[in-house]
Amino acid sequence: MRILICGVGALGSTAAWFCRNLDAELAFVDFDKVESKNVMAQCFVKASIGKNKAEALKAQMLTFFGVKCEAFSVKLAETNVEQLCGRADLIVDAFDNIASRMVLSAYAKKTGKALVHAAVSGDGTFGIVRWDEHFAPDAEDAAGQATCEGGEHLPLIGVLGSSIARVIQDFAKDGTKRDVMISLRDVRTTA
Amino acid sequence: MAVLNITYNGMSADYPLDVQVALSDVDVKRIAVEVVRAGGLRGLQVPNLPDNAFDNFVIDRFDRGERIYLRPKVPFGSLSCDCECECES
Repeated sequence: MRILICGVGALGSTAAWFCRNLDAELAFVDFDKVESKNVMAQCFVKASIGKNKAEALKAQMLTFFGVKCEAFSVKLAETNVEQLCGRADLIVDAFDNIASRMVLSAYAKKTGKALVHAAVSGDGTFGIVRWDEHFAPDAEDAAGQATCEGGEHLPLIGVLGSSIARVIQDFAKDGTKRDVMISLRDVRTTA
Repeated sequence: MAVLNITYNGMSADYPLDVQVALSDVDVKRIAVEVVRAGGLRGLQVPNLPDNAFDNFVIDRFDRGERIYLRPKVPFGSLSCDCECECES
């Protein structure tokens, strides 16, 4: 099984960390670079600062765990979605922008690819993992609303990242598709 | 009987809704404010909860309306990513 994690910031990199023992081929897409503040909220080490996030995560997975992954240091768009996602059996949307999420959703609907979305509330108290079959993006209260700050939401991100990994694990095992909601109090299966 | 799950300030709790009619989003939010204020939810009591506490919340309905979730938005990013942190979720 090939799993493509799209966006390896706080959620994507944390989920990838917990997917390291899966019997699966992992691949990452992210055009962004690791900044010094990212090491406080995302699974990157100081040595990765300045490197592309997808490439840095790939290098870390190999260095720390001996897990070989593939990295694409590009911005996902309609023009390259087939090239990036075509070989994936599961696509994980951990992007931070609705445009890229909608590109993935449209592609999944068109091709029948399995796609799961993950997102965290702006105040870091709540998160969702939801399959594309039930996906509808929430409207923003304000344009450009930030969904993460420099490590402030790290505990919730940890729970959410591991929940994403569990959802991936269940799907990889027998095709089960679970939706979950995560609060500071509980992790709840909703579908 | 429908079950209303309310998530607020990182806490989450269920409340059985003993009503036979379909509730609008406005109804659900009003009930939620009253229940949370009154302490009808274990671990989730805010006596001074403002009337508009759930105005920007989202309501998800599952199982033909038998399970209702009132939750904070999880903003799926901006149309062009220009947030200050410049990081992917």
